[in-house]
Amino acid sequence: MEPVIKIRDLTKEFKVLNHREGLKGSMMDLFSRDYKTVRAVDHISMDVEEGEIVGYLGPNGAGKSTTIKMMTGVLQPSSGEILVGGTIPYKNRSRNAQGIGVVFGQRSQLWWALPLIESFRLLKDIYQIPDEKYNEMLELYQSLVNIKPLLHKPVRQMSLGQRTLSDILAAFLHDPKIVYLDEPTIGLDVSMKSKIRTLIQALNEKKHTTVILTTHDMGDVDALCRRIVIIDHGKLLYDDDISNLKTLFGSYRTLKIRTGGDLASKAREIEKMFPEFAVKDDEEWISVLVDEERAKVMKVLHELEETMTIKDMQLEEIATEDVIRKIYERK
Amino acid sequence: MKTLNLKKYLTLTRMGIIESLQFRIGTFVMIIGNLLYLTLVYFLWKAIFASSGTDRVNGMTFYDTLVYLVLATALYGFMEMYTVWEIGRNIQSGKIVLDLLKPIKYKSYLFWSYSGELLRNFICVFLPTFLVVCIVTHGAVPLGINLLFFIVSVIMGVIISYNIDYIVGTICLFTESIWGINIMRQVIVLLLSGATIPIAFFPEPFKSAVFFLPFQAVYNTPLMILLDPAPSLQTTGRMLALQLIWCLVMTVVSNLFWRVSLRQITVNGG
Repeated sequence: MEPVIKIRDLTKEFKVLNHREGLKGSMMDLFSRDYKTVRAVDHISMDVEEGEIVGYLGPNGAGKSTTIKMMTGVLQPSSGEILVGGTIPYKNRSRNAQGIGVVFGQRSQLWWALPLIESFRLLKDIYQIPDEKYNEMLELYQSLVNIKPLLHKPVRQMSLGQRTLSDILAAFLHDPKIVYLDEPTIGLDVSMKSKIRTLIQALNEKKHTTVILTTHDMGDVDALCRRIVIIDHGKLLYDDDISNLKTLFGSYRTLKIRTGGDLASKAREIEKMFPEFAVKDDEEWISVLVDEERAKVMKVLHELEETMTIKDMQLEEIATEDVIRKIYERK
Repeated sequence: MKTLNLKKYLTLTRMGIIESLQFRIGTFVMIIGNLLYLTLVYFLWKAIFASSGTDRVNGMTFYDTLVYLVLATALYGFMEMYTVWEIGRNIQSGKIVLDLLKPIKYKSYLFWSYSGELLRNFICVFLPTFLVVCIVTHGAVPLGINLLFFIVSVIMGVIISYNIDYIVGTICLFTESIWGINIMRQVIVLLLSGATIPIAFFPEPFKSAVFFLPFQAVYNTPLMILLDPAPSLQTTGRMLALQLIWCLVMTVVSNLFWRVSLRQITVNGG
């Protein structure tokens, strides 16, 4: 099957003025022609199949938003090819717009002063959603999350969680082929996060909507994405199944121990004993990230026991978060 | 995909009306502010006429001037769209990206979102002032076919004004600051359109020059059509034709400027 999003060698460069310091520098900047080129996205290629949820990850400033802006057609690529649903987004922005939905973090597309239902009605007319489809969608929303109490509430009176939820519902309202979610769970509490994850999952299943999700919350990734794409400094670092990610860096496990005495100095000692492993300490635990290919956890524990008294211990599987941090830091 | 779907736009108008009615106090404050400004205009021009020694300055009596300025203020109160603020705010907050990703032109989206408020202002600001002026002056405003021409002229005035705003708003794409630019626009429009000083008062070479600019077509032309004591179809027709030309020119210019700027922005980022 033809992929919904097809990206080949996508590159985006920005020209940025070299700012100078101080008052004099700022004055000179007014007339400066001293530009430098910044490559925000650097030869990225990927395909996204219909109905996938792809986690698009990377540290701040990695080029995620720039890529998404190119996919939506707001930005024109410097070079490379991008096809969304068979059309070039920046050339057919209006047509592309009909088939996509967008949620950008804390920016809301809803009408601030009006009840949510008015924003929905507006979207219905702008996207020319037929009555029966619209009602069907509202019923679906009602069955997934209880939106009745929200519909007649002015958006400005909503909590951040309710507003984000509403924004996501608004993005899915016209049943788009692709929805871009840029940090949808930012700043939300745990229960709201899980509510939103469930909602995205359900909409993806019911409507077969392709979802591109950027987030810094690994909980989102673990709950929603089977495939993740990681970029940093505009370059593609990883594009594969999330389950392969954990094996990519060998089998890491975290050994946590509690000893008597000063934890910090004990941690230094352990660091000296095992210079190949990362050692961290907090008020309660000393954690050692053990690469099982180099040494078995039990063996490490054994050696430690010979030099110090261990009061308590825990063993943890490595979290996606740690793996991703390792990928970021590898650079 | 050139389907003329009017519903799409009328929904926006509807939203605008509902939204503007949400802020009741704002409406009342606007009416009061308007009255205060009119009082100021009254005393200012009274003083000007008193000090001039004649009852006619530049061919206009005190009464003429006052009627002109009161109606100009009412017209301004109803036609000022704050488009530049809106565009500027949307650019700064980044919300413009969301608006660009709607299957509707940004320019139309903005205009029709505002049209509801425009309608409210017409009913709450212009209409009451107009009626008061009609009643108080008994007959300073000729009532006849000129009302119809006036309405046509006001609609074109709104279009020209919106396009001027839109061009200025587009400049915000580059500057990313709004305040200074908007103040400058406001001063230029207010002065050159005749909204603060009747154009009849301008000194000669300046006065003719003003007639070659689009600004006077925003407020002065509708008022001239409305207040002309001896209207002839020929002069009215000429004024409307000139306005129509400005309508077309400004629409084309603002669309072009927007398109070029947007391309610039999508290429260079922003």
